[in-house]
Amino acid sequence: MAENNNDTATMNETNTEESELVGLLAQFDDPDSLVAACNEAREAGYTKMDAYSPFPVHGIDPAIGIKRSWLPFIVLGIALGAVVVGLGMQFYTNGGSIGGVSTDQNPIFPGYQFKISGKPYFSLPANIPVTFEVIVLSSAFATFFGMWILNKLPRFSNPLHRVSRFKRATNDKFFLMLEKADEKFSEAESRTQLDGWGAVAIEEVRQDLTDTKLPSWMPMAALLGGLVLLIPPVAIFSVMGTTNRAPRLHVVPDMDWQHKFKTQVVQHDLPDGNRVFVDNRAMRQPVEGSVRWGDNELQSDSEMFQGIKKEFQSSALVKLRKSYQTSLTGQDEDAAAPAEEENLDQWITTFPAGFEVTKETLERGRERFEIYCSACHGYAGNGDGLVNQRAMALNALGKASWTTAKSLHDPVVKDETKNPIGRIYDTITNGRANMGPYKDQIPVDDRWAIVAYVKALQETGIVPVDATAAAVEETPAVEVETIVEDEAPATEAVGEDAATETEDADTEENSGN
Amino acid sequence: MHETRPAKITSPIVTLGGAQVKTIPIALIVGAVGIGLALVLSGFSMTRFLHIYLVNYAFVLTMCIGCLFFVTISHLTRAGWNVTVRRIAELYAMCLLPLAILFLPILIPVLLGYDDLYVWNAAGWSTHNAELYNGLTVEQLPPLEQLKYQFLNPYFFAGRWVVYFLIWGTMGWYFLSRSLKQDQLGDKNLTAKMQAFSAPAMIVFAASLVFSSFDLLMSLEPLWFSTMFPVYFFAGSILSALALITLTALWLQRSGRVTDEITIEHYHDMGKLMHGFIVFWGYIAFSQFMLIWYANIPEETFWYEYRINQDGWRSLSLLLLVGHLFVPFLAMMGRTVRRNKAFLGGATIYLLVMHWIDMYWIIMPQCYAKDGHTFTLGGGGIFIDLACTVGMIGFFIAIFCLVTRDKPLIALQDPRLGEALNHEVH
Repeated sequence: MAENNNDTATMNETNTEESELVGLLAQFDDPDSLVAACNEAREAGYTKMDAYSPFPVHGIDPAIGIKRSWLPFIVLGIALGAVVVGLGMQFYTNGGSIGGVSTDQNPIFPGYQFKISGKPYFSLPANIPVTFEVIVLSSAFATFFGMWILNKLPRFSNPLHRVSRFKRATNDKFFLMLEKADEKFSEAESRTQLDGWGAVAIEEVRQDLTDTKLPSWMPMAALLGGLVLLIPPVAIFSVMGTTNRAPRLHVVPDMDWQHKFKTQVVQHDLPDGNRVFVDNRAMRQPVEGSVRWGDNELQSDSEMFQGIKKEFQSSALVKLRKSYQTSLTGQDEDAAAPAEEENLDQWITTFPAGFEVTKETLERGRERFEIYCSACHGYAGNGDGLVNQRAMALNALGKASWTTAKSLHDPVVKDETKNPIGRIYDTITNGRANMGPYKDQIPVDDRWAIVAYVKALQETGIVPVDATAAAVEETPAVEVETIVEDEAPATEAVGEDAATETEDADTEENSGN
Repeated sequence: MHETRPAKITSPIVTLGGAQVKTIPIALIVGAVGIGLALVLSGFSMTRFLHIYLVNYAFVLTMCIGCLFFVTISHLTRAGWNVTVRRIAELYAMCLLPLAILFLPILIPVLLGYDDLYVWNAAGWSTHNAELYNGLTVEQLPPLEQLKYQFLNPYFFAGRWVVYFLIWGTMGWYFLSRSLKQDQLGDKNLTAKMQAFSAPAMIVFAASLVFSSFDLLMSLEPLWFSTMFPVYFFAGSILSALALITLTALWLQRSGRVTDEITIEHYHDMGKLMHGFIVFWGYIAFSQFMLIWYANIPEETFWYEYRINQDGWRSLSLLLLVGHLFVPFLAMMGRTVRRNKAFLGGATIYLLVMHWIDMYWIIMPQCYAKDGHTFTLGGGGIFIDLACTVGMIGFFIAIFCLVTRDKPLIALQDPRLGEALNHEVH
């Protein structure tokens, strides 16, 4: 200790020129004399002082005149705010609605309506636990950081730490600091007073006034450090942006392959005694005739949902039921039965009432067409999509047996009587010949948009490039360009695409030859 | 200077001081008249009478069980601060043994084969329930009766209650007798012995609490089950016990007994504990409700469904939510109010009333469902309820006085008495 004291003294002396007095620190050896001294100081009129002790001393708060903290009220305020925020957040994200307007209608950051076990989108009991957690978390933060703020933390340095004796405040000694900022403070008089109150030792507390500039190497080192820290994210992102044929790295395998039951999946590899139901499913199948949530309309409007005229609705119902059963069991019960002759009259020939052909829906149709259809049918509907080209190339080598995708400009496809609008819709919905059904990928509105776009494509009359020479003669290429120029802007863009597509296809074919 | 109080009892009166001599007969008469009146008012309908009797019995029993827990946990954690109020809890815990006598009106009809209270005591109860709640046919029901009969039959039921009262009686007697012995001898080893006893006792106590809650209240509706129910039962018990201890201490000091030892610091801490257990009760009550509400399984939801969809019970459910949770939670939050004896007195009585309503809410819907009557808040039958409540409280006071007699109301020579006397809350 003696050595330490000497060190402090030396340090204080050497720094006299560049330091200023901030207060006097008095040491006491037991908590009772500290409390007594605090009481004396308060009665003497000191207001700016603080006591330091290794443990909370009983009665120290009133002795140094500390008023009760208003931290509890901060926390209460924050907690009450958290109730509003917690409930409001869930109300918003769950797509709750006020006055019939749901937050899922918001153009930006829409809420998301999610039906869970038949409960309302927003129901109070389900949202209490999250609200409770939000309250707990914000109250904890309010307490912790509120305490920081009230104590003016964080501080990077405190002049008290320059007094080496002060280290024992965390061990076995008790200190009272009188601050110079106090009106009553005068160095000589305060020192005498502290002496009189039983201080064992009194030290000057000085604040360092030396230059506080950072050493010049520090910013450079910080910059370098920052750059080094950028390496891992850059490495990760660069790998994420490149293709790689190695199998995926599974960091947490039991998250990627979870040991869980999946609804409606027949689990064949279940150990004995780990079965939920005899048929190895974890959930019962829907009752026969169940209709998916929100799909009730399916049964009422056959024109919109199946492309079948109202007067043929009863046959539409049978068909719907069959397709639903097929989707459940995965096998078509009637597959073996002889195909019925198709009744072409049942298909609607104009767009249903629920769908309107506008520039927007056409544009939407183009977008969806290019996403879902163009891979086989080609951007212009010529039946020369990339998948088709590749498959034909494999066919030529005898490595595949692929039926060419239909050209949408084929006279049969274009024929209004043989292929009315409702039938095109049905083709997209349920597939036809070798084309698969798209009802699970494309919502009803989008299917109609695609139908509209297909009709628009057909109107442009673009010639299939791989059609027979006779077909080329029938529809000269010049005509295509003329029509394209005459079309509305939306279709014009398509026309351009189509032209490019044709060129590309040409090149490919040439190089193939 | 901080003064340390010597570990010495300074109050002039530390016993009931003869007040019990007069009180016991009066309380017994009030008890007998009250219960008798309830029986008459209910028109000798055993279903109605036994249910309200059970409400009040459960009300008193849970308070004593909570006091027993308070004593046990104090020794288990070597608590020093509550030595001054621990004797009150010890005395109430000792009341558990005589309370076995008041259990006889519930037990004897069960042994005689009546199903006025516990429907599982008559064959065919499951079909009755099925019609009432689920609309299932008998064939659709699992063989519940045969299964549950293994547990819910009169003899096993009676046997379990003998075990419960033996456990509670032994624990209550052990803690009180050691503590009284210490009053005379000042032997510190007794504290160490109680501490060693408290750990295994706590485990046995927990098991007895869980199963007694199944037997006493949950089996009223044998089709219904909730693993959260014992915790709910416990939450109500400990909260009402804290309120009872505080109320007793306030009354003792008001009447000039143990005036010096129980300080505002002890009341403050009891207030804090009560505040904590108000939240605990709410947390548990909600946990039980939400899981059942969410899972939405008929054999669980019907219990709440009846208490929420019937107008009268809905009012009572909401009253509990607001009155048992929100109001006391906000009211008892402040430090100033917890250090105010007048406020605390009112708060403890309020909490006890709420606990009584809680018991009523658990038990009485079964009675109304059985009778097919409609319950309205403050409607007919309130005089039966009041008479029975007054009677049961009369009996309870008589039992407390009989147990206490001339025993000191504070531990005189506990080694941690000094710590308790110098207890200070920050």
